Amino acid sequence: MPKPVVKKEYPLTVRVYLIEIIKGLGLTWKHFVKNIRYSFRKGPHTVPTTWQYPEDRRPISPNFRGAHMLMLNDRGQELCVGCGMCARTCPAKCITVKRGKPAEGEEDRYAGKTCCEDFTIDMLRCIFCGFCEEACPKGAIVLGQGHELAEYTMEACIYDKARLLANYEAARAAGTLKPKPKKVPVDAPPPKAAAAKKSAAKAAPAARKAAKDANGAGKEAKSPEGDKK
Amino acid sequence: MEDWIIDLIKVVFIWVWCLLIAVVMTWVERRASAMMQDRLGPNRAGPFGLLQPLADGIKLFTKEEIIPEKAKSILYVLGPALFALPAFSAYAVVPFGDKIVLGGKEIILQVADVNIGFLYVLAIGSMGVYGMVVGGWASNNKYSILGGLRATAQLISYEVPLGLALLAVVLLYGTFSLREMVFQQSGTFLGFLPNWGFFKQPLGFILFLVAAYAEASRVPFDLPEAESELVNGYHTEYGGMKLGLYLFGEYVNLGTLSAIIVTIYFGGWQLPYVDMSAFLGPVAYGIASFLVFFLKQAFFLFLFVWVRWTVPRFRYDQLMGLGWKSLIPLCLVNFFITALLVQLTV
Repeated sequence: MPKPVVKKEYPLTVRVYLIEIIKGLGLTWKHFVKNIRYSFRKGPHTVPTTWQYPEDRRPISPNFRGAHMLMLNDRGQELCVGCGMCARTCPAKCITVKRGKPAEGEEDRYAGKTCCEDFTIDMLRCIFCGFCEEACPKGAIVLGQGHELAEYTMEACIYDKARLLANYEAARAAGTLKPKPKKVPVDAPPPKAAAAKKSAAKAAPAARKAAKDANGAGKEAKSPEGDKK
Repeated sequence: MEDWIIDLIKVVFIWVWCLLIAVVMTWVERRASAMMQDRLGPNRAGPFGLLQPLADGIKLFTKEEIIPEKAKSILYVLGPALFALPAFSAYAVVPFGDKIVLGGKEIILQVADVNIGFLYVLAIGSMGVYGMVVGGWASNNKYSILGGLRATAQLISYEVPLGLALLAVVLLYGTFSLREMVFQQSGTFLGFLPNWGFFKQPLGFILFLVAAYAEASRVPFDLPEAESELVNGYHTEYGGMKLGLYLFGEYVNLGTLSAIIVTIYFGGWQLPYVDMSAFLGPVAYGIASFLVFFLKQAFFLFLFVWVRWTVPRFRYDQLMGLGWKSLIPLCLVNFFITALLVQLTV
């Protein structure tokens, strides 16, 4: 059964409408005065409801997914090993990676045994999902905070390796690198396995450390908490 | 100096002054509305965006002049002129200041002190509707003609309360000359209030104000040009400077209506309680009276903007109901009370 329509009876003061208009005028006046006062405020972002874009820039979350960059480790070595996991997982198929070996005498420039000779991202196709970042075993590709990506030509939107490395340098200079992900605590190995490895128990911490170094050479230096664990 | 030169200077001055008010009003409307709605408004052209009207003007002037194929071209071009011209000419009888003495000659600050200036204002004020109707008709567009029709019906309905509210004022002052009305508003009323028409005719003032908003087809009575329902009504088909003239005419109209409100209800150029001519030199007094008049006018101009961004548009039947069922009876009541009081006191 539909709700019966009840005609609301308004008191005379409301029906005259004039008083209500004056109340409304009071409300708009309040906003007017407030905003006039704000607009004389110095500094950026004067009116609280509006960001005047080229002058005022909103702070960007560290988790923002913007323009990509190729990371270097603390020793300035390229992390990417050219495995192509990012290209494989990319839903927009915008990444092309060519794997290569570092040239003679240039092994120091790369963290891994292999490297990427070529790394191209077609920013016109990229959907900024961040899957490449998740897929990367070395943490080499990261989506940064760059979001002003307009260019005059389509060719300029295809980022090559030099540009991606330059993105990293720019982000480091601006201090907008992503914070290091927190270490997820790994469960202790089951007791049986521990017993089997009893003999090696003494050397275990050292071994584990060595293994980690070999495994994720690219990973940034361990945080103090990590060491304690 | 010859008299006609002085008159010419006054005419040109008032013409330019009207234009200036209209130009600044476009800026005020946009910035003030923004401030009321927690926005910023145009603030890029010049300091505080003050050059925005200039930019708009350049844009409107340099636009291509388009006359729709099916439009009646003569009437189509005539429409904006018919709308803007009465708006300007109504200002001719408004006393925008007392008098100024320049070179030993006393100049009254009014283009023409017509003894029936009051009737002139009413007559010219209702001419503006021709611009809307002609524009709407000539555009040959359904929205435009609807806008024109609405304008006709609305202005005819609101002409009556407007006239009736003003008739009470005529009873009060016993004159048709706007200048004479201002003179009669000097001094105090009941010993402590300024002797303004507003305090003698509070109801009449409110009725006149409402009717004036409808007359200027401003929000909440902007039905002829309702953007959301009629796609700007009678100026749907207009562009370039022809549209500019319509928009300009509207602001000039507001300026004129504000000037008339000030003249009739708020003592014209006079300050309450203070007689400026007593302590100011003849030149300074002329300028001061002009400024006082302008300040009062500016308040009502701002009120037009202020109300526009506060009150939503009326429905068409509400508009008609308000006009015929509330305003006209109230006007008559006001008229009879005024007549009675005038009869008793004189």
